[in-house]
This record gives sequence, C-alpha cells and structure tokens, in this order.
Amino acid sequence: MLEVAGGVDSLDPGYWYYQTDYTDLYQTTQRALYGFTPTDTSPQPDLATGLPKLSDGGKTLTIHIRSGVHYSAPLASRTVAAADIKYAMERCFSASVGNGYAFTYYGNIVGAPSKPTPSVPNVSGIQAPNPSTLVIKTTVPVGVLTVPNALALPCTVPIPQSYAAQYDKGAQSTYGMHQVFTGPYMIQGAGSGTVPSSGYQTGKLLVLVRNPSWVRSTDPIRPAHFDKITFKGGNDITVASEQILSGQSMMSGDFAAPPNAILKQGLTTDKSQFQIAPSGGNRYIGLNTTIKPLNNVNFRRAIAAVIDRNALRLTRGGPAIGTIATHFIPPEMPGFQQAGGDAGNPANDFYANPNGNIALAESYMKKAGYPSGKYTGPPLLTVADSSVPASNTAEAVQSQLGEIGIKLTFREVPHATMYTKYCEVPKAMVAICPSLGWGKDFFDSQSMITPVFYGPNIVPSGNTNNAQVNNPTLNKEMQAAAQLTNPAARATAWAHLDTQITSQAYVITWLWDNEVGFHSKNVVGVQWPFNGNDWDLTASSLK
Amino acid sequence: MVKYIIRRLLWVIVLLFLVSLMTFVVFYLLPSADPAVLRAGRQPSPALVAQIRHNLGLDKPWYTQYYRYMKSLVLHFNFGYSYQSNESVRTEIFSRLPATISLTVGAAVIWLVLGIGVGTISAVRRRSKFDRAAMGTALVAISAPVYWLGLLSLFLFASDIGKFPLFPGAGSYVPLTQNPEKWFTSLIMPWFVLAASFAAIYARLLRANLIETMSEDYIRTARAKGLPERRVILHHGIRAAITPIVTAAGLDVGVLLGGAILTETVFNIPGIGRLAYDSILAGDLPMIQGTVLIGAFFIVMANLVVDILYAFIDPRVRYS
Repeated sequence: MLEVAGGVDSLDPGYWYYQTDYTDLYQTTQRALYGFTPTDTSPQPDLATGLPKLSDGGKTLTIHIRSGVHYSAPLASRTVAAADIKYAMERCFSASVGNGYAFTYYGNIVGAPSKPTPSVPNVSGIQAPNPSTLVIKTTVPVGVLTVPNALALPCTVPIPQSYAAQYDKGAQSTYGMHQVFTGPYMIQGAGSGTVPSSGYQTGKLLVLVRNPSWVRSTDPIRPAHFDKITFKGGNDITVASEQILSGQSMMSGDFAAPPNAILKQGLTTDKSQFQIAPSGGNRYIGLNTTIKPLNNVNFRRAIAAVIDRNALRLTRGGPAIGTIATHFIPPEMPGFQQAGGDAGNPANDFYANPNGNIALAESYMKKAGYPSGKYTGPPLLTVADSSVPASNTAEAVQSQLGEIGIKLTFREVPHATMYTKYCEVPKAMVAICPSLGWGKDFFDSQSMITPVFYGPNIVPSGNTNNAQVNNPTLNKEMQAAAQLTNPAARATAWAHLDTQITSQAYVITWLWDNEVGFHSKNVVGVQWPFNGNDWDLTASSLK
Repeated sequence: MVKYIIRRLLWVIVLLFLVSLMTFVVFYLLPSADPAVLRAGRQPSPALVAQIRHNLGLDKPWYTQYYRYMKSLVLHFNFGYSYQSNESVRTEIFSRLPATISLTVGAAVIWLVLGIGVGTISAVRRRSKFDRAAMGTALVAISAPVYWLGLLSLFLFASDIGKFPLFPGAGSYVPLTQNPEKWFTSLIMPWFVLAASFAAIYARLLRANLIETMSEDYIRTARAKGLPERRVILHHGIRAAITPIVTAAGLDVGVLLGGAILTETVFNIPGIGRLAYDSILAGDLPMIQGTVLIGAFFIVMANLVVDILYAFIDPRVRYS
C-alpha cells in the first residue's frame, strides 16, 4: 500500500475514527463486537454471537460474546471476555485516549460521564456479569446501539484491563504502542509487547504480518488472503499513482483521488485497475447563517441557484469522482431515496439545474431584498483549503458568486488551519466555507445529519455545525429520530430532516463523493462500503 | 584562532535562542492549525478540547510555554513531543538525520566536483565549444525547478515507472547501515537532481571569478617566472577564485542539512525536510521548532567552518 497523506493518526483503537485508521488497522488487526464484510450494509456479529437482545423498551441490550478468541502475544494464552469490551468502551470516555465519538453515540448509556474523565471511568450501564455476556443499559432507547451500528466502532475492540491499565495512566495513553491484537494481522514485532520501529514509524512505515493467535473459523468477517501488508508513507501523489499502476502487488492508500491526468488516462487505458464506488460522503459549501445576509433563506437559495455544481465537479476530475448532489444524504445510505434520490426534491428549484441558473438566482436575490438581483453589500469573508484540487473548487465558487455580485474577502489556508482556526470556530466569523465535506460513520443517516445540523452541537472550537444551524423544530426532530429503533422508521425520519435542511439551503451540497481506488494489475482489490468504499485488505487478494 | 572560535560559538548559542524565540512567536501570531482540536477527533466536545489543550500545556501563555520548552531543551536536551504523533521530537529528528545527511553530502560532492571542474575548464577555454555548451547547459539546470527535474528523472530512469529503467525509484531509500549497496543506488538520482542547479551555479560563478583572477598582475608574474600553465591555474588562479565558492558551499550544505524539502518529497526520502513540511501543515509546533533549530544549527555551524577554512585557503585572511 502506498500512502500519500501519512497513514494512520494513532495506533490506539480507542482513537481510531478516520477512513485510513479503519483500512490500515481496524479491519486488519482487530475485531469488534460487530463488523462488516464488503457486502454488508448492516452490522454483522463479529466478537458477538448474534445481534443484541433488546429488553426494557429497547433500553437494555444483552450481547453474548464468542468464545475461544485469543489475543496476540504477549497475551496469547488469554481469550476475549466481556469485561475486556466493557473496559474498552469505558476508556473511550477518558481524556487520555482522546476518542472523538464516545460522547455522541454512547452518551446515553447509564452512568456515562458528560465530559472526558482524567482516568478511565467505571460506567455502571456497561456490565459484564460473566465472561461471555455484556449488558448495556441506556437512559433512553438509542437507535444506533440497538441496530447496532455504533457497536461496530473501534471502541468495542476488546482491551484487557489488567494489561492495558498501566498504559492508560497519565495524560496520554500509550496503549497503542503496546496493544494486543485479535484480528488476522498484527504489527510486525509487536508480539514483544512494544511496537518496534521495524513495524511502525509515524507517517513512514507500517508493516502487518499474520497474527498466529487468529483462527479463521472463529472469524465470520475476514478471509485474510495476504500474508503481509506493508504501508509506505510520504509518497508524492503523482509518482505513487504511476508506481501502483505500472508496478506489482500495490494498492492506493490514503489518496483523496489520483491526479486528474492520471485518472483520465487510467479510465481509458487501465480501466480494470480502477474501482470507483460511492464513498458515503458529500462535499458542500457552508453558509454561516448567523452572518448577514446569509441569515436570509432567499439569499442562501440564490447562492444555491447560481452555483454551477457541474463546473465544481470538473475541478476535481469530472464524473468519475462523484455524482452531482441534490440533497445532503448521499447514495446507498438509508433515507437517500426517501429524500428524493438522484433527482432530489422538485420543490427545491434552486437545485434543478446542475450548471447553475443565473436568472433564478437573481430572482431569489430580489426576494432577499436586492432589487437589481445583484448583491450590493460588503465582501463576505470566505476561507478555503489551499491545497489542490480543493483550492481550484473554491476559486470556481468565488467566480460563480461574482455572477450575482457577491464579492468575497477570499483566503486560502492549509487544510488543518481552515478547519481548526476558521471554519470550525464560530468566533472567527467566517461567512462562507467552500471546502467542506462530511462522511458517514456507518449506514445510518444520523451520522450524516446530526453532526452538521444539530443546534446543541455548536461549540467554540471543533464545531462541525459550520452553518451554525440552531432550529428548535429540527433539533427536536433529530432527538426523536435518534431514539427510533426500527431501521425503516429511522430512514424515513432522517430523510424528512434532509428534505427540510435542503430546502433551507443552510449548506450547498454539490457532490456525492466517489471513492476512487486503484491497484496493480496482479491485485484483486475489494472495496468496503462500510468504510466509504476504501479497500478491505482482508478481502482483497493477489491474482 | 581559539578565541575567535569560542566567540563565534557563543554567538551560535545567542542566535539559536533568537531563532527559537522567533519561531515560537511566529507560530502564535500567524494562523496555523489548532493542535488540540486536531487531536480531539471529528466531533470533539469542548471539554475534550480543553482537556487536550491542558495536557499539551497550550492553555498557558506563550511565554510560559516557551520558558518550559527552553528549560527542558537546555537541561535535558529534550525537544518535547509531537502534538500529532506524541513521539519524541529528538528521536524523530535524529532518526531522520542520516537520510538528510546522506542526500546532502552526496549531492555536495557531485556539485563541487562538477561545478569546479566545468567552471575551471570553461574559464581556461573561454568561448570554446565546450564553454558554450557547458554554460548553456548550466543555464537550463539553474532554470529547472528541482521538483520538475525530480519527476522528470523518475519518469525517465526509475526502475519502476521509468521509460529507461536504470535506477531505483521513489521510496527505495534504505539506510546506509542496513544495505550500503541499496543505499548508494537509491540515492544516485536524488543526488544528481539536487546537485544539478548547484553545480550549474558554481560552474558559472567559478568561471567568472577565474577569468577575472587570471588577468591579475600576480598571475602574469607567475607566468613570467616561467611556471607551467597548469601550476599557474591550479595553485594561483583557482586558489584565489575559489573563496566565494567555499562561502556558498558552506551555506548551501548548511541549508540542505536542515532539509531538502522538495527532493525528499519527490523521492520519498524520510529526511528532515519532509518532516518539517509535514509538521508545518499539521501545526505541530514542537516538531516545527525542532526542525527549525536543527536547520539553524547547521547553517551557523557551516558558516563558522567556512570562516575558519578561509584562513587556510586565502593567505590574506588571519583571525585574531
């Protein structure tokens, strides 16, 4: 695997959250309560023996744990027990682990802390009455637990307390460097109890070898064809793309997409080496609804109407990189069809023309109080990602907004700065963020809608509700939808929310992203829909 | 001479202190990524961000953070820990230093040999076909960006993606201690790519200096005394003309030891330059600070070495 962005963020399962973490380490080296094969869109039992048994109106979940699953050395004689999963979930609330989703998805478990704790807390609602039984009690029914998508996240990767507690002390847990593995692979040399530099070097190298403790017959999820997987980081994207396409036994790693020229050439001459599928994510332009005139729905709709989404897509490589979006929930997600499918909701005329409609935009501008159909106010602060191709897209947005007289104070800054200093910081008062996007956590549209539009999610920093939407009606509907335990009812509820959000044009969703994976000729690459169609390295193989 | 060196070393310390202070201040004044938010994941609660900020010491005023950093650096030679990976900055820098030294030293040998050789011949055979061809080629080499030249050489000569597969391609670097032969072959292309523009500049510089020197009175005197032309050029001409080359070489090597960012990036050599680049993008202050200090250290030390070398090369220079 050739990586261009540096690989995983952390070795600690409690920290894993991003696509690369899942591809490189989660699916390959660990097992969780539930998991996904490349054909699954709902979670399948992995360490669990079946789906949760619900009682107390969906507020109590009883899960039985598979027996005979061993850890890797130096704990090879130990088998996974329910108490290990209890500890793993509890440590996700600890500040020393730095988990980003425990409070969102596990916050309603009885006894769960409301803020990160200095040490690993005892959560009374997570119980292990015996080694093979895990009981989770919640204060209200939690749909993402009952279904149980949120129990397929890496916080349920078992971690034995008696071994890990020593590494979880202090301000920053070091368990990742000493972890034990349950999956088919382990980091090379980690059987000694410490990950050596021959197995992992930040941003440079990650080597996975077979885990001798793993037994295929106990694992319903992973065939694990490869004998060894090497991730090499820090590659130039153009060079790495060429190496993969012309080389042997190589696959694309954490590429956003190959460079445009290579993608175009590849799709004509090396088509069999490319695999393209919806990523379960989108790209959008965030409009800060607390800043005038963006607080006016007609002004926002004018922007939606003037945006040429087709032109924006061309800045990233054209049709191969995604479908032009007409609403927020992306294809293959529950609720996509109910929210309008590919065509979207016909009532939202501002999304009707993918090439933009200046006349319609001007009519909305008039409704917004600009009689000439052109904006006449002060420039709007706009902060964009400075890296290609995001910068090309942002510059196209700037040009298109000029069609209705909108002038921008336009700033391009590095990707991380854009988020952490501007677009996710309400105090920065950025009006327009053209380089935003969101991806699902799992096949449930709650993970698309809530983080981006739920009012109480507005926080001083790391604010993912960039548009600062705080609509009491929508907030209530989201709370209610989160408690639904029936998958079909959940899909309908979240689709209804998508329809309302889209009609308000809080954000201009312009693309439903594709994942573009490519590999050498002798590789059979298998994509993994659960993880945005990045590779499932346990299902991929060599010819 | 010893007093001079001690005085210069004391200035090195002052300079490094000022560089570290400026880096710190610049990091706080200019917009850069917030390390606490970066580390807190995708949907962090304010409490988690605050806790991480506290853990990293980012909730203290910048001067307190700077004091702690310097104290740790001076007393324990501890550069701190990366905000991004939590790894020791010292360990990370020293693990990457051999790659950068390998790249820089090899390239320096090439550009000095080529630059001095071609510059001398061009000066001696002024307006010859060789001179015109060499100076024309030098102009191309100076104009070609390293990044472009690197990609071009990979697409032409890399064993994996090249049209004429001659040398190992990007990502093939192995440490000298691991496999000397692979180390050497993996660096051939990066060395030449990095050396190209330097060799060209040095050739042009030396040619101009040597032409001027060869018209000096003392050269005429040497010839009048009956010295062979070869001795006149090598012992009298080049010795005087090479002083600016030594200055430039010292500084260039110092700068590159601080990281040859573009070459390391194109050829995926895990060196200091690549580390600095990644750290800047990630707003990883301890790592930025470490790479900047190492870079500054090499530059001032190279400068010092150059000044000392003057005394040996140029008989007119004496230190007191």
